[in-house]
Parts: sequence; structure tokens; C-alpha cells
Amino acid sequence: MALLELRDLSVRFQTNDAEVRAVNDVNLTVEAGETLGIVGESGSGKSQLSFAIMGLLARNGRASGRVIFDGQNILNAPPKVLNRIRAEQIAMIFQDPMTSLNPYMRVSDQMAEVLTLHKGLSKRDAVAQAVQMLDAVKIPDAKGRVRLYPHEFSGGMRQRVMIAMALLCRPKLLIADEPTTALDVTVQAQIMQLLSDLQRDFGMAMMLITHDLGVVAGSCERVAVMYGGRIRETGPVGAIFAEPTLPYTQGLLDAIPRVDQDDEELRAIPGQPPNMSRPPSGCAFQPRCPYRRDVCATIDPPLEAFAPGRARACHAPVPEVLGRMTRAAPEPDQPAAHPNEAVPQPIPRGAVAGAGAAGTTSTTEGQ
Amino acid sequence: MVIDQSKMQSLSDRLVQDEVKGRSPWADARRRFWKNKAAMTGLTILVLVVIFAIIGGRFAQWSNEELDFSVMGQVAQMGQPSLENGHYFGTDNLGRDLYARVVQGTQVSLMVGVVGAAIAVVVGTLYGATAGYVGGRTDQLMMRTVDILMSIPYMFVLILLLVMFGRSMSMLFLGIGLISWLDMSRIVRGQTLSLKNREFIEAARATGVPAWRIIIRHIVPNLLGVVAVYATLLVPLMILTESFISFLGLGVQEPLTSWGALISEGAGTMNYGTLWQLLFPLFFFVITLFGFFFVGDGLRDALDPKER
Amino acid sequence: MFAFVLRRLAVAIPTLLLLIVFSFTLMHLAPGGPFTGERALPPQVLANLEAQYGLNDPLWLQIWNYLVGIVLHFDFGPSFVYPDRTVNQLIAAGFPVTLTYGALSFAAAVIFGVSLGAIAAIRHNSWVDYLAVGVSIGAQVLPNFVMAPLLVLVFTLWYGLLPGGGWSFDDPSFWIMPVIALATSYMASIARITRSSMLEVLGSNHIRTARAKGMPEHRVILRHALKPAMLPVISYLGPVFVSMITGSVVIDIYFSTGGIGKAFVDSALNRDYAVMMGVTILVGALTILFNLIVDVLYAWIDPKIRY
Repeated sequence: MALLELRDLSVRFQTNDAEVRAVNDVNLTVEAGETLGIVGESGSGKSQLSFAIMGLLARNGRASGRVIFDGQNILNAPPKVLNRIRAEQIAMIFQDPMTSLNPYMRVSDQMAEVLTLHKGLSKRDAVAQAVQMLDAVKIPDAKGRVRLYPHEFSGGMRQRVMIAMALLCRPKLLIADEPTTALDVTVQAQIMQLLSDLQRDFGMAMMLITHDLGVVAGSCERVAVMYGGRIRETGPVGAIFAEPTLPYTQGLLDAIPRVDQDDEELRAIPGQPPNMSRPPSGCAFQPRCPYRRDVCATIDPPLEAFAPGRARACHAPVPEVLGRMTRAAPEPDQPAAHPNEAVPQPIPRGAVAGAGAAGTTSTTEGQ
Repeated sequence: MVIDQSKMQSLSDRLVQDEVKGRSPWADARRRFWKNKAAMTGLTILVLVVIFAIIGGRFAQWSNEELDFSVMGQVAQMGQPSLENGHYFGTDNLGRDLYARVVQGTQVSLMVGVVGAAIAVVVGTLYGATAGYVGGRTDQLMMRTVDILMSIPYMFVLILLLVMFGRSMSMLFLGIGLISWLDMSRIVRGQTLSLKNREFIEAARATGVPAWRIIIRHIVPNLLGVVAVYATLLVPLMILTESFISFLGLGVQEPLTSWGALISEGAGTMNYGTLWQLLFPLFFFVITLFGFFFVGDGLRDALDPKER
Repeated sequence: MFAFVLRRLAVAIPTLLLLIVFSFTLMHLAPGGPFTGERALPPQVLANLEAQYGLNDPLWLQIWNYLVGIVLHFDFGPSFVYPDRTVNQLIAAGFPVTLTYGALSFAAAVIFGVSLGAIAAIRHNSWVDYLAVGVSIGAQVLPNFVMAPLLVLVFTLWYGLLPGGGWSFDDPSFWIMPVIALATSYMASIARITRSSMLEVLGSNHIRTARAKGMPEHRVILRHALKPAMLPVISYLGPVFVSMITGSVVIDIYFSTGGIGKAFVDSALNRDYAVMMGVTILVGALTILFNLIVDVLYAWIDPKIRY
């Protein structure tokens, strides 16, 4: 039995102007101990997907479908049920460590309250465990710094505090929503390394939500590519990187700035992601797709398995997409996976521009 | 009854963002504003009140100073609102036509409100923009002065001034206007500061664009949004302040009148059974304040939309 | 924290001295002296009076004497109109009254305003929310000088439930209408500010984190949301305090409660500068003190403020 199973999960937002269909009929599974990457551009619905699982949607959001965790449907479950699962079974870390920690409380209080709440520990024991966990995420002088406020930490350290706080109850599943987006490139690599290590040590499953294929390549086993609120391609990370069968995935891979390439051109996907309050008819990617055909404008292709463990939602046949692939895929763990290799010495011009373009934050924009 | 400074700050931040991203906030804002029912209601009310102030006097059967001797001494019985004797709103306790007096009070109150707000906005904007643009020690000094001025009990000082230098209209305008520029100057300074160090302004400065052109081209258009909202929300506050002073009998003097003075008179006589003397001026006072608040809030929400 | 308070005091005390000097100079600049009233006094009497009040001394000496009187003896000098009474006596007569209904109004405005606003935000788009929004919009246009006559109309003239004026320390029925009249519009403003700031905080990232930690909603609100949501309210308390003192003038006039507002308006109408200045300076001092308290409170809640 899968640890987490999403069935026909949809999320709708009611705004003043229109209904926004952020997530549409998503089906996914996460096995115990596995790492699943969910990749997509800003506004593709990937963050809202994770909020829906945890029951953390904004007030005007409604989720439908089923979220089965450990055999129990927890979607729209009553707060009492959800609160037993949050932090204890499923923990979450967020994109922006600056604002995701409570700026008005000491780190010790914020961390200790998780343990006093879920484990019934005394304040003193809870703080002691919090310090241990801060040690585990490699925060120097954890004992002294636990008394500080979040703004007294650097960005990377804050994200470490977030991670430590999430792991206090040893959850079975960690949802990491763009954990490194707001951080410097060097710090990004350290945090990803830390997450991988902790995941192995704690034996937990992880759902890694990101727009950064480099991060996925370095740390995930399976990938789901989201576009326009739907999963469009799933498969093992190696296969997807080697043979992207979806035009969108191909475009994403092409857009990664590469150190080993001579041409300085940055191949961005032309056009804009769809506005989900007025989604295009048919396939959402159709307006930007080089493989577009007539049927794409009317029928949204369903997600269909085409090889063991792989599925795609596209009208263009697999051989055509693979045949027109412009260049070889990157080595799976090549970009930004190891701290030492994270910063290539001669910084390619494209890489800098690429980092900037990707840095937009899908979750904070609408607030 | 107060301008929410944190919302004004949020609006100011939004406008700075818009300028940095090269968006014009006005096109979308106009659409949102026209769609805002409360704001539209407010605007309609204001237009009607202004029309009333301008041409209402032509329909009056009596002037505002004439005493109607036929109702004198028996105002409660004879001075009621009636179409027959031409006192649409009844008479006041002296037998003067209340309709004509309300028209006059509306003119005076609106004028005090608009002029007072204009003074506050102009002073506040100039002061804040100067402090922000010049920066350095001047800025420090100017803003510290604002801090100090903030803790002065203005209404008392204003009354002190009115008593010492005589109760003239110009004193009232000036005094009321000078009360409220402090908050305005803070917001404007903050916005100027955050704009002035942006790359595009530095680039303009580096290429030799003179300071006044930078201010006109980049700083002022951005202040416009804040200034418009502030001005709209300040007018009712000015009207309130004026009414407050007139209620105490320290504001506009006879034969001039204002809503505050009329409300004060009406409140003083209501236990003689002449309730209309309170209710008519109160009605205009209340709807006008509503109008300004709705329009001001609508304008701000249109420029700084939040999904709520 | 101690250093922070000291630094604030270092600003507050000069401000107060400036206010004293400013009002005194203003009084000196006023056209005509304090004794050029309606009744023309014989020149001899005038000269005597001016000598008696020290008005012939150079301005700096007058200011100095005045300052010394206030700072060392808390003495605002004699009244100009009632030579047998001091400003201190006139203020002392009214101050307890103003303090009583002022403190009650302030407490009522804060307690009801914050509760209403917070509940409205927590139950966003429910009937409580609509009620709160409706009340706070409505009360915006009901300042004290409108509330006072309306209250008297309803509770005294129509139903005869409450006394329409006067004051008694023993009978709280005299307190009710002054407190409601003074508190209503501020309660509404506080409710509005609390609501919008609470909504903002409840939608912020750290509240989402708190929810993700599995905390029950009431703990999320009490432990994580209330403090930051109070910050805009706290910075609004300074202006509320000032406006309430100002509003007390209307209350004293309309309800004949006999607070310091009464002394102020009487002196304004009599051109009794000494009393006006005394009240202005007292109010200024209270304002500065209150702002100091607000600053300290703010710094205590927000750890990002540097002491």
C-alpha cells in the first residue's frame, strides 16, 4: 500500500473576478521512503497541491477528490483528525524561511510547542529535544541560538530551523515546497544535501516541490511534471531526463543553463504559463507547443501509461517528440547536486539569467 | 474616523512596486473602481451633495438671514417642515429658514473640508518628498521634527490659536489643514526614499537628467495614487474637525454657519420638540461623510487590490 | 529595554519643554494682552495687573519663571480671569471626572473594538463579520458630538432611562452616556483596524506554518496571530488617546460633566490664557507619556525593534 495516494485531487479558488482552477484531477502515489519530485513553473498548481494535502488552502480555496494517507482519507477531514496527522505523520517545510517562521516568537518556543502539543513533553524536555534536532541539522552552537528570534538567523540557517522543526516528531512524509528557492545557490546545495541525508537517516518519504530540474535530478527517484494544474508526465528521474517524451518537459530541460555548452543562447520556452482562471481550451500547453496539432486545441490529452512506470499526457506520438529532441539530456546529478560542484568557477552568462527568471515565487504572488 | 496608516503603507508599497515593474496601476484601478458598488454609491452621493450646495440656494423661498415673524415664538408648532410656507426643512429657533441655512452650511463645510485637505496634502507631500529626496541629516532633522509635532495636542493648540487671533475663516482653514499633514509627510517620505534608490532613477541621474525632471517624471506620478486616496479620506476628517470646533461654538461665526454649528443648534433645542433642526443637518453631514469614506476606500482598494 | 526607555525619555522631555515655550510665546504674541477684554480697564489698573502677573519682565524671564514653576512645583500660576483661583485648582477640580469617564471609554473602546474586530476576522464572511463591518462603517460618521445628542434623545427624552447630564462619582448611571458617546467611534476604528490586520496575519506564512504544525485553531490564534495582529492597533492607541482627550471637551460641554474640557472651553471663551495653557500643557504631557508607554509596549511585542 502506498504511503500517500492522491485520487482526482482538484483545487478551486473563488476570487472576485473568476474561479481559478489551480489543480485538476491529479492522481499520484508516494511510497514509504521514496522521494517524489513535482516539477512545474510558477502558477502550475504544485504548491496548492501540497497545501491541499495538508488542508492548508487559503480561505477561498476548495479541494475535492481524495487524499489517502496510510489508508485513511484525510482530504477535508475535521481539524481534530488533521491535527493528529500534521507534524506527527506529515510535516511540511515552506519556500520562504524568512516569513514562514513566526517572527515574534523565540525559536525555542516555536519548536518546543510542537513537542508539548503532540508528545505531551514538558517545556524543558521539549526545548532539549529541539536543541538536539538543531544539532542534527548542523546549526552551530544550537544550545545558545535556540533562544534567538528568527530574524537573528541567516536565510540558510532559518531554513535549517524550519527543517529541524518539521522533523521533531519524526514524520513519515516530508513535503518540501520549494525549500531552496529563496536561498543563495551555495546554500541551496547545502540544504538539499542536508535534506537527502536526513531523509536517509530518518527513513521518511519526501515530496519535493520545485521548479528547478537540477534539484530534482540530484535528489529524486521519481518525477511528476505539472503544467496548468495537471500532471502531464511521470516517470523515473533518469528516464525522464534522458528521454523526455513531453514537449513541455523537453522545453524545461532545454531551458537549463549549462556549463558544458558553448552557445550562449538561453532557450526559454516561448509564451506565458496559462492563466488558470481562463484556461485555454484543449491542452493547456498547446499555445506554446512546437508539436501542436489540430486536436490539441480541442481535446485535453489524458494522462496515459506508455511504458512501465511512465505516463504522459500528449497528443504527439512519442517517437516524434523524441526524434526532434535538440540535444542530449544532462547527467542526472549534474547540476547543483553536490555542494562543492554547485558553483562552477567561470559562471556562464546564461546561468545567472536563468536563476533570476526562475526565482519568482508562485505561492506569495497572489497574497 | 481615522485613516488606517498600515493600509496606506501597503498602498504606497504597491505603487512603488508598480513603478519598478513598469506597470501603470491606473488602467486596472479604473475598472475596479467603476465595479465597486460602495464607491459608486459614495460618488453618486457626493455629486448630489455638491449639486445641492451649488444650486440648492435657487430653490429656497427664504434667504438664510431672514426671520419669519409668523413662526417666531411658536417654532415647534408653526416652524415644521412644510411646502406651503416655503420652509422645506422647517425653521430654526429664531425663525430662519433651515433649508437655506443647510445649503449654506453645506457650502461652508465642504469648502473647509476641501481646502483643509488640500493644505494638508500639499504641505505633507512637499515636506515628505523634500525630506526623502534630500536625505541625510536634513531628512533626519525634518522627520524628528515631525515626531515631536506628533505629540502636540493639536485641537487644543488650534482652539488656542482661534481664541488668540480671532475666529476667522482663514485661521480655521489654516489651522485645520496644518493639523493633518504629519502622517501624509511620513508616507510620502517613505515612498520617495524607496523610489529614489532604484536603478532606473540612479540611471537617470547618472545620465545627467536634472533632479526636478526626475522628481516630476518618476516621483510625483507615484505619489499621485497615495495623494489621491489621502486627500479623499482627509476631506471627511477635516469636515469632522471643523464640525467639532463649530459644535463648541469656536468655529464659523454667525451669520455664516456650517454643519457642526447647525447640529449644535439642533442638539440644543431638541427637547423643545423641534427635532428636524437636528436631523436635517445631521442627514447631510452623515451621507457626505459616508460618500467620502466609500470613495476613498474604493480608490485605495482599486489601486491596492487584495483578494478578501 | 531600560536604555530604550531612557532614550525615549531623552526625546520626550525636550518635546514637553518645547511645547511649554511654544504656548507661552504664542500667548505673548497674541494681539492685545490677556486683560484687553470687553471691559476697558483704567491704565493704572492695567499696569498694576501686568506688574502683578510679571508681564513687564522680559519674555525669556517670564518663560523661565513659568518653566521653573511647572517643573519644580507643578504650578501653572494664577488664573488671569479669576485672580483668587490658581490654574492648578481649576484643573484639579475637573481632572478626576475626565480621568474616570476617559479611562472607562478608552478601556471600552479597546476591549470591544479588539474583540469585535478579531472575531470578525476569524469568522470572515460570516454574520459576525458583516455586523462588525456594518457597525464600524456606521460609527465612522457618529463622532462624539453626534452621538451625544442622539443618546440624550433616545435614553433621556424618549425613554427617560438615564440622566441627560451632570456627574456623580457614586451613581454610574451618570457615566453611561458619556462613555458610550466618547467610545463609539474609536471602538469602531479599532475594530476595523483589528479586523484588517488580523485578516492579514491569518493569511500570512507563519500562520500557515503554525497550522502545518497541527496546532488547534484557537491556539494558532492566541499564540501566533494575536500578537502581530495587535501591532497596528497599538500604534493607533496614541492617536485614540489624544482624540479622546479632545473629545472630552464635547462631553464636558454637552453632558455638563465638569471635567477639564469644561475648564478649557470656559477659559477659551473668557480668554483666560493661563488656564488654556495649563490644560494644553497638561494634555501634551499626558500625550507624550502615553506615546512613551505605547512605544515601549510595541517594542516589547516586536523583537525586531532595536532597544
